[in-house]
Amino acid sequence: MKTKIIREEKSITIEFSGRLDTPAAQETAPQLFPIQDEADKTIILDCTNLTYISSSGLRIFLILRKAAEAKGGKVIVKNINDDIRSVFMMTGFLNLFEIC
Amino acid sequence: MNLREKAKIFTDKGLRRRTRWTGLMLIVVAVAILEIISLVQAHYAKVGIRQEAKATAESQLDATKSGILNIINQVESAVRNNVWVAQWCLQIPDSLSNIPKLIVNNNPIVAGSTIAIVPGYYKKKPLFSPYMAITNGEIIEKTLATPEYDYPSQEWFTKPIELDRGYWSEPYIDKDGGEILMTTYSYPIKDKQGRIAAVLTADLDLQWLTAMVEAINIYPGSFSTVVSRTGKLLVSPDDSLIMNTTIDEYASSVRDSAPLRALNKAMLNKESGSMQITYEGKKNTVYYTPIEKTGWAMNIIIPEQEMFAGLRKLDGLMRILQVIGLLLIILIFRSVAKSQLRFKSLSERKEIMENELHIASEIQMSMIPKTFPPFPDRKDIDLAAALVPAKEVSGDLYDFFIRDNKLFFCIGDVSGKGVPASLMMAVTRSLFRSVSAHSDNPAEIVSSINNSMAEMNESTMFVTFLCCILDLQTGHLKYCNAGHNSPLIFTQSIDELPVEPNLPLGVMLGNEYVLQEIQMGYDNALFLYTDGVTEAENENHELFGIERLKKTLSGRKESYEHLKNVKKAVAGFVRSAPQSDDMTMLFIHYLRNPEDARIIHLTNDINQIKNLAGFLDSIAEEKKLPNSLTCSINLALEEAVTNVIEYAYAEDDGKGGGAKDKPIDVMAVVRDDELKFVITDEGKPFDPTKIADVNIDQDAGSRPVGGLGIHLYKNIMDNVIYRRLENKNILTLTKKLQ
Repeated sequence: MKTKIIREEKSITIEFSGRLDTPAAQETAPQLFPIQDEADKTIILDCTNLTYISSSGLRIFLILRKAAEAKGGKVIVKNINDDIRSVFMMTGFLNLFEIC
Repeated sequence: MNLREKAKIFTDKGLRRRTRWTGLMLIVVAVAILEIISLVQAHYAKVGIRQEAKATAESQLDATKSGILNIINQVESAVRNNVWVAQWCLQIPDSLSNIPKLIVNNNPIVAGSTIAIVPGYYKKKPLFSPYMAITNGEIIEKTLATPEYDYPSQEWFTKPIELDRGYWSEPYIDKDGGEILMTTYSYPIKDKQGRIAAVLTADLDLQWLTAMVEAINIYPGSFSTVVSRTGKLLVSPDDSLIMNTTIDEYASSVRDSAPLRALNKAMLNKESGSMQITYEGKKNTVYYTPIEKTGWAMNIIIPEQEMFAGLRKLDGLMRILQVIGLLLIILIFRSVAKSQLRFKSLSERKEIMENELHIASEIQMSMIPKTFPPFPDRKDIDLAAALVPAKEVSGDLYDFFIRDNKLFFCIGDVSGKGVPASLMMAVTRSLFRSVSAHSDNPAEIVSSINNSMAEMNESTMFVTFLCCILDLQTGHLKYCNAGHNSPLIFTQSIDELPVEPNLPLGVMLGNEYVLQEIQMGYDNALFLYTDGVTEAENENHELFGIERLKKTLSGRKESYEHLKNVKKAVAGFVRSAPQSDDMTMLFIHYLRNPEDARIIHLTNDINQIKNLAGFLDSIAEEKKLPNSLTCSINLALEEAVTNVIEYAYAEDDGKGGGAKDKPIDVMAVVRDDELKFVITDEGKPFDPTKIADVNIDQDAGSRPVGGLGIHLYKNIMDNVIYRRLENKNILTLTKKLQ
């Protein structure tokens, strides 16, 4: 699991790759948590290379989404594969995120 | 009038007199029978009402308790979900005040929250405890670090540090928030070095508790109370007692306080059960249960008078019906008696009796299951049973059914034969059905049947009985014997299953029955039988015997074939000698193919989640499962195992630095039509099926961040079953394959 954070003037892109399972989510969370304070920018969750996500990963997505709601920013989820799409469907996340 | 006519009159008179006497006798007998029937009925109705009250009370207690635990769990999750955030934030002290805010904002159920730093942990902030509360919908921020309050001396702060785990405070009246009953959950936070740095808390307003408990309503006069672990009343029908009085103090205020004190003691000892107590001159039945985690206890108190109110009405009605019935009998008798002066011929009467016996036999046989195979869609069990009566009706019985993937079965033999034995058999069988609907402990079932029968039994009949429960998923067999002969168990060889003799049913009220258990291996079998098989006698008075039986049963065959062979062998042995006793057999073959089951042993280390993928891949490859299916099953298993680590093993979850060697076994049973995963751990009881489902239609702002894992595996899997067995949590997830 690798996570890359790219900060630009109006947006922050987080590139996930590999499997975002429970251990991976716990490992990467401290790195992603401070982004809550910058949630007035557009947060792009790039899932092009993400193969798998568990509820711990979804929790991070949701925390960022809540921060964006509170600060008036938005969260865009990019390029999810079919397996992750079905997980988004089961959890109602399809309606919570802007997906492209 | 000649002699012949005189004689005729004399005989006619004699006949009439005899008929009148017989009539009177019949009426007396009818009254006696009616009286006995109504006594028996009243007794069984009382037993039934008690059983029903028990079942209702227990299920209401259970439901309310899981409602309470659900809320308790939500609060615990609200805190626990933020433990790792808090851990991370410890490095940046200024960010800490966000955590109580996060908890209060994301969890509408939490009324207030603080993170209180251990004095001296930060040099610059000796006392630090930002507190967020919601009062009338508005967030109020304040600090608890004031000299007047002195948080380091408060129970909610000291206890979790002392115990090194989450802690529920004793409920208290919150003076600031408008005299509301509250309790606080607090959890110690450790830094990377494993030192306790802070305590994270969530306050829970308890107004819902009163409403939830007062909603329990079984009988008009029944009521419930909840007490804290120090015995303070948290919910009581008398509001003035709440938080003012402990139950022991209340007990001193009533007459004959001893039974109340016994109840208090049991409840404070965290026992669950029922008790009959009399106080203020009234009899009551109390059912009570502890509420884990908070240390509270809850009960339902039902006044006897209310419990049997319906029965008294019914009894009155029955009496009236009896009198009407009796009058009808007299009328019918009078009209029949006139036409009955000619007696029916003996052969006619015999025919009627045989006909009635035949009907009795049919009714009796219709009570026991006799469609074979009984569970055609199950591949794990091959069962056959047979009952061969010696007379028209039999005193033997067997019964079986499956509940919660457990096979309940029994065999019994009533002393004596014929109609009386068959009635006793019918009673035993219906007691077995009604008692085993509520219990899965054979010793409890046997004791309960014994007590019901011993109370009633004046005819000194008794029943030998063997009751067994086989867990079809684990092969675990629990059994309890009451004077029956030991069954045969088929492993590598055929042996007698060791059974405690114990007394037969109906002999002694209150006799204690010993529970026994063994582990049945795959492909093992059991043969239960009555002594009519081994004691079948031939013309030379030789017995069929157990050695001949074992020989007949050797070799691997289907269960019905085994029974056919035994019947044939016994018939061949006794030849023309009449069958002397009823013969009953039950053959149970436990058939889980070991090839189907695979196990991976994990421990409560979150990093071991990664091993699940490889375990599943080998199954997927062999069964040629599509990738997407494998992926979603992997997700379901990961969520279930993560839950075990985070909840069942919460105290040693690795985050707090506890041991990471606690076992979590995942067994996969792979079949063509379904995959079944059995996840077993030795942690605290944790039933995920009782957790309320998340609402996936909520918007981002109001959605809680927890609960997604359980939601996912409930959705992915077709069936989720939780059981607590022998101090283990056993979660079974089933996925059907097309």
